[in-house]
Amino acid sequence: MNHASNPQSTNRRVVRFDQSEIIIGLEVHVQLDTDSKLFCGCSTRFGGAANSQTCVVCTGMPGSLPVINQHALELSIRAGLSLNCQIAQSTKWDRKNYFYPDLPKGYQISQFDQPICGPGYLDIEAVENSSQPRRIRIERAHLEEDAGKSIHDESNRGQNSKIDLNRTGTPLLEIVTQPDLRSAAEAKSFLSELKLILNYIDVSDCNMQQGNLRCDANVNLHIPFGEEKIATPIVEIKNLNSFRAVERSITHEAQRQFEAWQENGFTIADAPKQTRGWNDHTQSTTLQREKEDSADYRYFPDPDLIAVKIEEVQIQQIKSQLGSLPSDLRKLLIERYNLKSADATVMVSQGRGVVNYFLEVADGCENSRIANNWIGQEVLRQLNESNQTIDQYPVSPQQFTELLKLVIAGTLDQTRGKEVLNEMVEHCISSQEAIKRLGIKPVDNRELVTLCEKLIAENQEVIEQIQSGNAKAIGMLIGQARKLNPNANPGLIKEMLSKMISS
Amino acid sequence: MSNSPEQPIAEQPIVNRIAKLARIHLDQQQLESSGNKLEQILDFVSQLEQVEISEDVSPFFGAIESVNAIREDQLTPSVSREKILDNAPESDGEFYLVPPVFRNTDS
Ligand SMILES: [Zn+2]
Repeated sequence: MNHASNPQSTNRRVVRFDQSEIIIGLEVHVQLDTDSKLFCGCSTRFGGAANSQTCVVCTGMPGSLPVINQHALELSIRAGLSLNCQIAQSTKWDRKNYFYPDLPKGYQISQFDQPICGPGYLDIEAVENSSQPRRIRIERAHLEEDAGKSIHDESNRGQNSKIDLNRTGTPLLEIVTQPDLRSAAEAKSFLSELKLILNYIDVSDCNMQQGNLRCDANVNLHIPFGEEKIATPIVEIKNLNSFRAVERSITHEAQRQFEAWQENGFTIADAPKQTRGWNDHTQSTTLQREKEDSADYRYFPDPDLIAVKIEEVQIQQIKSQLGSLPSDLRKLLIERYNLKSADATVMVSQGRGVVNYFLEVADGCENSRIANNWIGQEVLRQLNESNQTIDQYPVSPQQFTELLKLVIAGTLDQTRGKEVLNEMVEHCISSQEAIKRLGIKPVDNRELVTLCEKLIAENQEVIEQIQSGNAKAIGMLIGQARKLNPNANPGLIKEMLSKMISS
Repeated sequence: MSNSPEQPIAEQPIVNRIAKLARIHLDQQQLESSGNKLEQILDFVSQLEQVEISEDVSPFFGAIESVNAIREDQLTPSVSREKILDNAPESDGEFYLVPPVFRNTDS
């Protein structure tokens, strides 16, 4: 291998990090949104009292028998279809054997060689520095049960670890990608798109704080070295539970692998796959254990469970209920509603509820640009401030449409329109009622003329400025006009003032 | 996991490895006898290789041929915590208590 030979090591120092390519594959664990666990009727609810949601099945008592949850199967098929996966006609269950205190049976029921979802793909939008959208291949997605939760003594005084088995047996879908991702940003983009899709199709809320979406990242580098391309040993970074952790750990790990290679020259042939953990405090990965080869888990078919056959008609039925996916809706918003790509992305990332709201308002007021401005800015800001979802928003799409029609017709200007909206939100009333409450009345032409004459008479200095070419000074007059009569339309005032000043 | 046919399985590291994976401690004598027993079992099972199977028979994984034993996604009462923790070697009434789990964190 000659790793230590000095000339080689010197040559390695010449290679720059940015010449190497980062190769990333992800394993994403998603908790399926079922009421009961995968193989028993215990609740999957988060946050219950420790060990209050277990039974003989999920704690692995001798003689108990698991029975598969129909809804977990359906959700897995739904997820598979949305990721363009082949759905298995027949799927079976295997035992993955390992010892850990939070795994009461000593094995996890999983799927080894007949996963419910076969190969598929997910297209992601272009990320910075890469001009092309990318197709990320999915290798497979299989169903398995979650383990329990360990609470370790962190005082380092060797206290017992505590085990809570409420989570044991909760259904997980493990989605495995091919090593197709090429940067930390792409990995993040893949995960946000995946999360959005699973939200849209009601498969999982993907709440990362509650651990409902967890991710392992397999990372190595391809480094051009002389005539060849060197691959560094693969490292699996375990249990990443935030997008930030995914992005930072991959960035850090790539740099670490590059430095290690410059130091020791080890390639993929020289070292087994390593498992490392991400430490948020030190912002670095640390070695956990050498990865057991797959035979160490001694997978074998679970004799307590029988195969599941999935009929084509069942798949077709689930497919027909899938609804629009985020990518379909982005396309619709751009092509049919003329939204800019960035605006469409923001709108769709807010979830199906917001998109439906937008579609109803845009269709109702027949002006998608104004609907996008108002919903994309005002509504999202208000929802954000009040920490509400669109279902809780006090203004119905119909009422919102009525308001925008008044803005489009010029009856209300932008500023007054926003005041009306705030009033509608605050008092849960219609635009007509809000207008009445705010005392907004149409201003007739004679009133406007009087107002303008008054402004001109009282602001001779400003008028002179305007006449000597400072067109912007008219803004001061419009500001005063609104103070004198808030109902006066600034556009009309500007028009009228300009005419009167120039004549 | 290579085991050459001419070498008896009992003398190979594989028995040791299986014992380790199963968290069983075997002394030298037990290692040998377990190896012999394993070998007898493998011999016995290998008789199946004599059965002629045509190419179009797909592998079979269970002892029964039925499929789709499925339940609705409905809650059933869990076992009370007191009762379930009664089975634990050690507990504090809320959690199972197990010997400290140390993670290897040297990088
Ligand atoms: Zn249970």
